[in-house]
Amino acid sequence: AFDFFKNIVGGKTMNRADLTIALAAMKDHLLKKNVANEAADHLCKTVEEALLGTKTSNWTSVQATVQTAMHSALRRILTPTTSVDLLYEVKNSRASRKRPYVISVVGVNGVGKSTNLSKIGFWLLQNKYRLLIAACDTFRSGAVEQLGVHVNRLQELTNRMGGGEVELFDKGYGGDAAVIAQKAVQYAESNGFDVVLIDTAGRRHNDKRLMSPLEKFTKLAQPDKIIMVGEALVGTDSVQQARNFNSALGNTRNLDFFLISKCDTVGDMVGTLVNMTYATNIPVLFVGTGQHYTDLKTMNIDWAVNLLMG
Amino acid sequence: MVLADLGQRINNAVSSLTKNNVIDEKALDDMLKEICVALLESDVNVRLVSQLRNKIKTKVNLKEGAGHSKKRLIQKVVFDELCDLVDCHAEPYKPKKGRSNVIMFVGLQGAGKTTSCTKLAAYYKRKGFKTGLVCADTFRAGAFDQLKQNAIKANIPYYGLYTEPDPVKVAREGVDMFKREKFDIIIVDTSGRHQQEKELFSEMVEIADAVKPNQTIMVLDASNGQAAESQSKAFKEASDFGSIILTKMDGHAKGGGAISAVAATNTPIVFIGTGEHVHDIEPFSPKKFVSKLLGMADFEGLAEL
Ligand SMILES: Nc1nc2c(ncn2[C@@H]2O[C@H](COP(=O)(O)OP(=O)(O)OP(=O)(O)O)[C@@H](O)[C@H]2O)c(=O)[nH]1
Ligand SMILES: Nc1nc2c(ncn2[C@@H]2O[C@H](COP(=O)(O)OP(=O)(O)OP(=O)(O)O)[C@@H](O)[C@H]2O)c(=O)[nH]1
Ligand SMILES: [Mg+2]
Ligand SMILES: [Mg+2]
Repeated sequence: AFDFFKNIVGGKTMNRADLTIALAAMKDHLLKKNVANEAADHLCKTVEEALLGTKTSNWTSVQATVQTAMHSALRRILTPTTSVDLLYEVKNSRASRKRPYVISVVGVNGVGKSTNLSKIGFWLLQNKYRLLIAACDTFRSGAVEQLGVHVNRLQELTNRMGGGEVELFDKGYGGDAAVIAQKAVQYAESNGFDVVLIDTAGRRHNDKRLMSPLEKFTKLAQPDKIIMVGEALVGTDSVQQARNFNSALGNTRNLDFFLISKCDTVGDMVGTLVNMTYATNIPVLFVGTGQHYTDLKTMNIDWAVNLLMG
Repeated sequence: MVLADLGQRINNAVSSLTKNNVIDEKALDDMLKEICVALLESDVNVRLVSQLRNKIKTKVNLKEGAGHSKKRLIQKVVFDELCDLVDCHAEPYKPKKGRSNVIMFVGLQGAGKTTSCTKLAAYYKRKGFKTGLVCADTFRAGAFDQLKQNAIKANIPYYGLYTEPDPVKVAREGVDMFKREKFDIIIVDTSGRHQQEKELFSEMVEIADAVKPNQTIMVLDASNGQAAESQSKAFKEASDFGSIILTKMDGHAKGGGAISAVAATNTPIVFIGTGEHVHDIEPFSPKKFVSKLLGMADFEGLAEL
């Protein structure tokens, strides 16, 4: 009982044994939130190093101290080192050059690339830009028609909102995505489009044959931003997905940011947000929260940390 | 399949235990710790992992046996417990020729339903069933085109409507049409959905009421993490699916999330998807899966013990 009291009152110097117990519980908590084992270990180690030998504050237990430290560790991992204001960058680039602003999405199969690309399109159209959406998934059945439907819907919405314009660029199935992307950018430039949004086929990150064309794609399309779409549903694999996509772009190019889709399907198990940034130091800019055009939010770190710690 | 990696780790843990001269509590704990980390890294549900640990611990009697026989005993316990995770001993549905078997697909967004529908249709077609596909996904952009293009490639009759927004209506009409034409197997594809959106779940129940499936199959992505369990439970309650198709097993993920879904819903995996092409589908057997998972001669024959 005395120990317990002392623990609460604070002023206790934390040794490895105290921390090990508190951190084991913390790790279990993170794993249940779908944080990958590797990322959870890293976070716990950071917290241990920060706290070892320090004293708990007044009226604070070891456990509470660990919680606070984990809060900041998560915050730190999720906070981008450079800030990204995409709209501002588009605006700037339009003012300074003729080439349209080019954004492309990449990712594994079925994560939500095409849908979230369309959501980004909706957002840019609300800001009255002229968009070209390039159908560079020339493999999966219905991929071209899927984007076609989105373009029609977006044009209809845009007409109602007034302003903005959107067109589909496609060369059907079977073609080389990199070449089509390059053509789309050229077409956009000669026709005064502001932004080109390039959809790509889903690909397995552990298959070289599928991953290596990404380097050529990057060279030919020269995207200003490459967004990797990851889904909140994915487990531990998210770590390797992020690493492999980032390195597939070649030595001279990295991913610019992540969009984590399907956050509405996992409740508070939003560990993917941590896993992908942990793996690459690349920030999450957007989260997908549903299947409609308005279900795209900019990443809110408080929201994420509260879910993870709650 | 990259499962070998998980299997190898589990196997190494077991061998290093059994290589010890003295197998004491500590050695057993070390092995269990290794196995648990390997399972967690494969996305097996956190709670299931700790249950499995306790079960193995109580079943392994450290006083029993010596040397080689002790090693076999421990291997057997680990093997059985792993089998128990993926094997619910339920008999999966077997379609019969000469009558209509309606199979409805359900699952989360992007799991691989539409792709797997055609794979399964082509599989049954090869087995001599007269098989048709119905697209009851009226929500996702391009869903009907996707199913249609797949069906045409695989030469399988299909039904769908571009202009009808009500999936219940399309499903009913499609199934009725194929029934009239005396098809053996009628596969109904539906939109992706999740438990958080109640209306989507009610829609699924309405489609099921309209087509009265003989079998509902849940399609699960092998890369799913900790959320797989609760989503599958919710699908089980709403749709009472009778089997699972585990997709994207050609990927890097080890299917631990899906394994947890099997354990939570007591429903067997019947097929696995191993690629994006129509023939990338294999029937699934739990014992073989675990043997393959553990992937080595050491474990061979244990299934027959
Ligand atoms: N609930 C939810 N569903 C989403 C979200 N984003 C996308 N989806 C759904 O996920 C499914 C797959 O989306 P797609 O955009 O086709 O995914 P993709 O990555 O382009 O797929 P492939 O091109 O086949 O690799 C669709 O049913 C989408 O409606 C999201 O944020 N929340
Ligand atoms: N590598 C691999 N890809 C797969 C497999 N099964 C499906 N896919 C891919 O996963 C993506 C999504 O598949 P779909 O069949 O469209 O998924 P769905 O469940 O119908 O999606 P929604 O209808 O939007 O909910 C596509 O890119 C498929 O090619 C598989 O076994 N292996
Ligand atoms: Mg796509
Ligand atoms: Mg589908």
